[in-house]
Amino acid sequence: MSEIKDPKALEQPAKAKKPKINLNRLEMPKQEPADRRRNFNEVATGYTYEMAMEEAHRCLQCKKRNCQDGCPVNIDIPDFIHALQQGDIKEASRVLKTKTSLPGVCGRVCPQEVQCEKHCTLNKKGAPIAIGRLERFIADWERSQGGFTLPEMAPSSGKKVAVVGSGPSGLTVASDLAIRGHQVVQFEALHVAGGVLVYGIPEFRLPKAIVRREVEYVKTLGVDLRLDTVIGINYSLDELLNGEFHAVYLATGAGLPKFLNIPGENLNMVYSANEFLTRTNLMKAYLYPEYATPVKIGKRVAVIGGGNVAMDSARCSVRLGAQEVCVIYRRTRAEMPARLEEVENAEEEGVKFYFLCNPTALLSDGRTNVSAMELVRMRLTEPDESGRRRPVPIPGSETIMDFDTVVVSLGTSPNPLISSTTPDLEVTRRGTVVADEHGKTSKARVWAGGDLVSGGATVISAMGEGRRAAAAMHEFLSNGRKKIIPPSPATE
Amino acid sequence: MFSIVKHQELAPKVHRLSVQAPVIAEKAKPGQFVILITDDKGERVPFTISGWDREAGTVDFVFIEVGATTRKLATLGPGDQLAHFVGPLGLPAKIDHYGHVVTLLSGYGLAAMVPILRALKEQDNRITSILQAPDQERLFEMETLTELSDELVLAVGTRGEHMTESATMALRQLLGNHRRVPVDRVIAMCSICLMRVASEMTRPLAIKTLVHLTPVMVDGTGMCGACRLSVKGANRFACVHGPEFDGHEVEGWDVLMARRCTYADESILQQGFQCRGCSQW
Repeated sequence: MSEIKDPKALEQPAKAKKPKINLNRLEMPKQEPADRRRNFNEVATGYTYEMAMEEAHRCLQCKKRNCQDGCPVNIDIPDFIHALQQGDIKEASRVLKTKTSLPGVCGRVCPQEVQCEKHCTLNKKGAPIAIGRLERFIADWERSQGGFTLPEMAPSSGKKVAVVGSGPSGLTVASDLAIRGHQVVQFEALHVAGGVLVYGIPEFRLPKAIVRREVEYVKTLGVDLRLDTVIGINYSLDELLNGEFHAVYLATGAGLPKFLNIPGENLNMVYSANEFLTRTNLMKAYLYPEYATPVKIGKRVAVIGGGNVAMDSARCSVRLGAQEVCVIYRRTRAEMPARLEEVENAEEEGVKFYFLCNPTALLSDGRTNVSAMELVRMRLTEPDESGRRRPVPIPGSETIMDFDTVVVSLGTSPNPLISSTTPDLEVTRRGTVVADEHGKTSKARVWAGGDLVSGGATVISAMGEGRRAAAAMHEFLSNGRKKIIPPSPATE
Repeated sequence: MFSIVKHQELAPKVHRLSVQAPVIAEKAKPGQFVILITDDKGERVPFTISGWDREAGTVDFVFIEVGATTRKLATLGPGDQLAHFVGPLGLPAKIDHYGHVVTLLSGYGLAAMVPILRALKEQDNRITSILQAPDQERLFEMETLTELSDELVLAVGTRGEHMTESATMALRQLLGNHRRVPVDRVIAMCSICLMRVASEMTRPLAIKTLVHLTPVMVDGTGMCGACRLSVKGANRFACVHGPEFDGHEVEGWDVLMARRCTYADESILQQGFQCRGCSQW
């Protein structure tokens, strides 16, 4: 799909050597739980050179590239591992960059256990190659080298594209189209680029220096990034299309928090996970008062929900000094959408889990602060449409637990700012934008992807959708009638 | 970066800044707001737009020195820059021909209401404005407000002074006269307790009362939910569904008032709010 450079060119002739299977999957060094409870530094410190080499040499270089098929952006995994085996990290980095602009991010936050590593031949023996850790090692090595490994750029096509949103999906499309020679303007509503990578995922899981660097890389490709610009307010979608842009990619994510709709939900010290994480991560409240935004937290924190965002909220609470942090989830551990690794990390850090519990009311201390939560016990019944067993309340099992802070982490839905100002853009009842497998929406010249379409998924699937949409947009832009476009006026 | 082109001190601790922001000036409508960040380590703070000049590409807002960010803003002048300035956010105020409109103004509202008054005037409304301030010295924008209002009522009194000088007294008089001189609509942009009281006063008379709410916000684009409130049983965000709401539909005023103080830091609380709150009943 990506024709930037043919990865097959570097394929080695397969030697008929019989590798000895090494099942010793190398763990990544981590900060001790007692230490990391008190800081926001990255939990896992990454492979050393020797460790990366040792892990890379476990790879069997299978002929059938199951791992690559398991990757939503189809990274040439055996090739970059082969380069690593040869000790050529630069080449490994080049191979990675042909398919992903964000290796430092993917290596950290992708759920590899259900993607590439799940399909690894060695997974049959329970010891898949640590592909994510190797990817991260390569990205970190490149970062330590200073400059960027730049891909080959196509000559200018004279076409101009607007990308709305600068999260993982938007960054992927912006870089893919820039590499293919299109002029890209990327709009971001917030004051920092990166979307969920900067406002949602905490520093200890994904250091912001890495996101900044990957955004810098995309800018180096010639993408014109405009912060503080809200599409749907500053410019409508139609204004973009009727103005200078030939095509638009919408990737505004799912930013609207869901609430429980139970009594007491608007009491003081009840946060949406979005507010809590935005204060903590984007606004750096953990460095208050050096940074001006505070975040208030009590002694006993309840986090409602079982996804990665709930884990992030719970682990931020621990680091912000809460004495006791409890995750309240209405199903059981087996149904939790969070990555197992993150659940384990949270447990190591002292987070407690209450399964099969659902809040029914939040109680006030009399001064409109939350002081307790009323819960009902749940039991699981037959699977619902999501394939998970549906929880139902057990009548009469209500209990009350004391909490002085509650973080609601029930998922999000797309922000309606654009769809509400664009009547001919088809949206579902859940507010997600309707798009086909190439990301094409109901509106001419408009594509969409990421959480805006899926309603909430992973960083890598958002990138995968971006990759497919970029290919479709490139095709459209290349086949469309040629028009002469005057160079756009320079922006500040 | 966004350049500050003008700084005016309107009253003690009350300032007006004009900021070069053509994209915002182009689209601004009465009742909308901006969010700014002073520098890389600053917080996101919302301010209601008090005026704009599309030709010059400038946007104005008025603020009162209260917390760290507003104290910092007070030190900035022409030549200084704001790191970030985004808007116009929120829904514009509803403007139409209503007839006799009573507006209740205090604090930043004295200036931030001006674009709404102007638009109401263009729709041929008769406007009675009630201005509340702690003392004469802290009244501002008087010239413009006099020009735009058919009748101006000053409610200027200090704590302990005669209560006939409070805004609620003035409103009570107008409402008492409702049969002879009907009040068709009340618009309040003032302290939250006054907005609450006004809503309760007009409820029995079924006079549509719009309040401009300013709960704590973080992103201002509907992402964080910090500014949520209950309106007619539904959760609404002041940043995207407001900031103008029907005062009779707003529920949970107590919570709304308490939420505002969640993040009032010690330095603010020590200054002592001028809230005469519900003693105004």
